[in-house]
Amino acid sequence: MEATTTTLESQIIEQIKAESNFQKEGLAAFTALGIPEKKSEAYKFTPIKSILSKNFDWSTRGEFNAQVNFEDAFYPVENANHLVFLNGVYSHKDSKLQADDNSMTIKAVDLTHEVHAAFGSVADQKNDAFTAWNSANSTAALHIEVSKNKQGTPTFIYHFVDSENQETYAFPRIFVKSNTGSELSIYEKLVVKGDHKAFINSTIEANVDANASLKYTKTQNYPSNIFAVEGIFAKQDTSSRFYTNTFSFSGAVIRNNIVIAIDGENCEGHMNGIYLIDGKTHVDNNTAVDHKAPNTYSNELYKGILKGQSKGVFNGKIYVRPAAQKTNAFQANNNVLLSENATINTKPQLEIWADDVKCSHGCTVGQLDEDAIFYLRARGISKDDAISLVLNAFTKDTLNQVDEELIKENILELIEKGLKNG
Amino acid sequence: MLKIENLQAKIEDKQILKGINLEVKPGEVHAIMGPNGSGKSTLASVLAGREDYEVNGGSITFQGEDLTDLSPEDRARAGIFLAFQYPIEIPGVSTTNFLKTALNQVRVARGLKPMDAVSFLKEMKEKMKLVEIDQALLSRSLNEGFSGGEKKRNEIFQMAMLEPKLSILDETDSGLDIDALKIVADGVNKLKSSENATIVITHYQRLLDYIVPDFVHVLYNGRIVKSGDKSLALELEAKGYDWIKEEVGELA
Repeated sequence: MEATTTTLESQIIEQIKAESNFQKEGLAAFTALGIPEKKSEAYKFTPIKSILSKNFDWSTRGEFNAQVNFEDAFYPVENANHLVFLNGVYSHKDSKLQADDNSMTIKAVDLTHEVHAAFGSVADQKNDAFTAWNSANSTAALHIEVSKNKQGTPTFIYHFVDSENQETYAFPRIFVKSNTGSELSIYEKLVVKGDHKAFINSTIEANVDANASLKYTKTQNYPSNIFAVEGIFAKQDTSSRFYTNTFSFSGAVIRNNIVIAIDGENCEGHMNGIYLIDGKTHVDNNTAVDHKAPNTYSNELYKGILKGQSKGVFNGKIYVRPAAQKTNAFQANNNVLLSENATINTKPQLEIWADDVKCSHGCTVGQLDEDAIFYLRARGISKDDAISLVLNAFTKDTLNQVDEELIKENILELIEKGLKNG
Repeated sequence: MLKIENLQAKIEDKQILKGINLEVKPGEVHAIMGPNGSGKSTLASVLAGREDYEVNGGSITFQGEDLTDLSPEDRARAGIFLAFQYPIEIPGVSTTNFLKTALNQVRVARGLKPMDAVSFLKEMKEKMKLVEIDQALLSRSLNEGFSGGEKKRNEIFQMAMLEPKLSILDETDSGLDIDALKIVADGVNKLKSSENATIVITHYQRLLDYIVPDFVHVLYNGRIVKSGDKSLALELEAKGYDWIKEEVGELA
């Protein structure tokens, strides 16, 4: 056991060419931490180490050679930024930016040479192996800054992955700086060319200043050759609002790590998500919200619908620090298992040190409500439509924070499709 | 219209209906009464096509067609309506929304064109008056947080919208105060015609003061043990069910 695990990390490390201090620090942290072992509590139901060693040979990192017309994959939204990553490397020249935009600055930061203090300032790579691994491999990273009191232009990020000729690894790195009073919505998706396996390890850091609002929405409708560990790490200052929306539909293995640090008073942190999965898809949502200041609010709502032999994992941590009096923290994770072979492991975890707080959490796991289905059928609605009505309604409230109509429709279509298949 | 012959049904290993015979003709109102656990609600569920029950004998013929293998939706489309004793709460689905889907699926099955939004709304407004139901209620999640009376009125409202040929009212009076009961009964009476029929399932005679039956049947231990006219209901009200039990016991 020990021999093989040593081999995996050394195999990986061998391929990393760390040049800058940033990369070197990442490499050092990754070397020290190693990939979480099977006994690691945080990866208990997603044995990431064996998954990665079984599925990848870690020889060479694939280049992006695919001939793709990137714009074909863009959401047809005018007055928006369409930002392109190629195998995890931000490509400013292939991106399409809103002209004369004074609401925000978008730039590439070459972490191979440039020093940029923002990267690594929010995510804790000393304790998170995947962030460290990402840092060690980061080259052209994306830096987004929304100007003070500006309404930022809706921003779409496309991760193009080329695995046509060989297995591929991508390490996208993004930093979002939301200046005081600014607002921005970001939408992210993956576009995959090729059938070889691909591993995506992305790290997104966000610094949300006072009174600012940032919404980050991911659509994870991945082909079955995609293995992803995706991290979002946010720091919130006074009276800011931060939202994540994570909609997972397919892929081989998806692990989402979301960590929100609420550092200022009167902040709101929201985490919403759906996982509607089938086949052998495995989706693990691991979230943490850390209330460090008084009068703060967090709300987390994840809905799972599991079919086939799919596996879902949900772990939601809420920390309420001694200073965080008058915290309101809510969490719910509701699941419907539509197949006998699907599984869900769900665990809320509350650690509360303050005494004047309101916290609630609830996990439910159930089957389809047969009484509801019968009721609708007894009114003349077909069985399929009845199921679709009930489950659509079940997922509906997780979509409240998606502002862009097009994305909302897209998610609704994916839900509809996910419910119909099988 | 409806012909039930020697109907037997069980759930899991429990035989509940042990040979029911009943014929309902257009324009008629039949009341089925009986003590708790006699099989009244089972009969309603079996007629509506609930799959938890297994029909293991006899037949149900509706307008000349054997119902036994029809799905609940096909029965509804054929014109059978069950007003539930306990209407189900469905979070996130509004009455308006689901009823539009239901009505159009029923209409298409009956060879009619689906209704557009405007006609549907007009139709709805019309039918809402029948049971004095508020539009705001219909925009809310189906039955969620509704009072007992609101739930039952919503059932009759749905019945009005779907225009069934045979309505089965399962304990529609349970949980209603007298005012709500009158509104509900009034709605049912307004929908009555020489073309359609009603089966009223109830434990108490009270509802039958307002929805007057042509026939009253007593269900006991999975069989109809006594039939008569509306005076039978009054007799049951006065004497309770024990004498029926005794009578049946004597026969057995």
